[in-house]
Amino acid sequence: MTTIASLLLADGRLPVGGHAYSAGLEPALAAGLTADQVPDFVAARLTTVGRMEAAATVLSHRRAQVAGSGGPVQRGDSLQAIQREVLARTASQPLRQASGRLGRGLLRLIDRCWPLAAPARELRDLDGEPQRPVALGVACALSSMSEAEAARICFYDDAQTVCSAALKLMPVDPLEPVGWLLAKASMIEQLVDEAVRVSGATALPALTAPLIEQWSLIHDLSHRRIFSA
Amino acid sequence: MPEQAVTTETEAGAARQHARGLRLGIVGPVGTGKSTLIATICRELASRLQIAVVTNDIYTDEDARMLRAAGVLPTERITAVETGACPHTAIRDDVTPNLIAVEDLEARFAPLDMVVVESGGDNLTATFSPALVDAQIFCIDVAGGGDVARKGGPGIERADLLVVNKSDLGPYVGVDPAQMVADAQKVRGDLPVLAMSQHDPDTIRALISWIVELVERQRDGRHLPHDPGPMAPHTHAGDEHPHVHSDGEHPHVHADHGHNSPAGNRL
Repeated sequence: MTTIASLLLADGRLPVGGHAYSAGLEPALAAGLTADQVPDFVAARLTTVGRMEAAATVLSHRRAQVAGSGGPVQRGDSLQAIQREVLARTASQPLRQASGRLGRGLLRLIDRCWPLAAPARELRDLDGEPQRPVALGVACALSSMSEAEAARICFYDDAQTVCSAALKLMPVDPLEPVGWLLAKASMIEQLVDEAVRVSGATALPALTAPLIEQWSLIHDLSHRRIFSA
Repeated sequence: MPEQAVTTETEAGAARQHARGLRLGIVGPVGTGKSTLIATICRELASRLQIAVVTNDIYTDEDARMLRAAGVLPTERITAVETGACPHTAIRDDVTPNLIAVEDLEARFAPLDMVVVESGGDNLTATFSPALVDAQIFCIDVAGGGDVARKGGPGIERADLLVVNKSDLGPYVGVDPAQMVADAQKVRGDLPVLAMSQHDPDTIRALISWIVELVERQRDGRHLPHDPGPMAPHTHAGDEHPHVHSDGEHPHVHADHGHNSPAGNRL
């Protein structure tokens, strides 16, 4: 069900700190990625780290649905277990930190909008900052979205973060990145179908993008940057 | 949002927040001396108060490095926050990254008396959201042009303190600092204006005593944050005070209410 809350979660104007991130585009351009390669960069993210994060978002959404139903026994992976598996698949410390900051931004939103919800409490009680997909799954569940919608928002947000950061980093007509994103629509739908079939935390796709990880480490040591990651 | 709701929320916020130290914002155009102002504040107060700083450099971490190099604070008490080339957004529309940095410093070095947040430097319309800071200093300088104070803007007109910096440069740039202060005072009512020079110890003392008093008022719960807001105030015929419009139901927020400026707020 598409609700106003679900539209809000996909809106870049939502004040959860997204404006400080480029989803790896700034360090990629610094490392020599060319403007015509950016659509491929979007696709590379979607099919690697994007698949892992979307599946984790689905699991966290599933967990939040169960916790929210008030059932007697909570089965399935806890948010802590999902978080652990996400961290295990995020080798770069700067990327863990970026994801944690974005997760905390979402947690602030959840605390404000659904302060008494059981999954909000579980999210708050995690060790350390919630990784973005863990917090996003909870926010999506609390907004009455389906698992597929949660996965779609996870992919969309990743791609849109690259596209909007491109406007600040490259000489590009602002309407052009809109086309990049639209061109990825069918790819995203296929990936959504896959993401909702995830069976559990240990079965999360373990896909990384080594260059993106390496660039994130270089970026972290840079003294000249616009975006945090 | 109706005026009443805003007021109630602000008062509740003030009551809730005086358990922690002061969050002080420094904002103003690029190059007016914000970083140096913060270095001065730290140098003068670090022995008396527990302080930490968040900087918002636009595309380098130069401000954070300058402060660290100045040796005025332990380096781990200075955090640089990237703003995605949106310095205005980072202090106003989406304060999340800055607020997280402030909260982390407060948790790590508790109890802090004050966290200073430095804006990345923007235009005259940029002011801090009251969600991020309890009070703010708007910093302009004589070298930026003598007409800046007269042009006004929310920060110049309604920030808790307006600093007219580098007053010693007046003769070299053909600007009369006293005239700038007079222009600013005209639009600021009771709110303080300070002409400052790094070479004039008296002006530094005035700044420091204003801050110390603010820290104490915050600590005692006597400081009520107010928002300079994005709107330019104006007057209607017959009005005694400038005011801003909020919405149809509660059209007027008078400067008197919003500023709540007792004598203690003056320099």
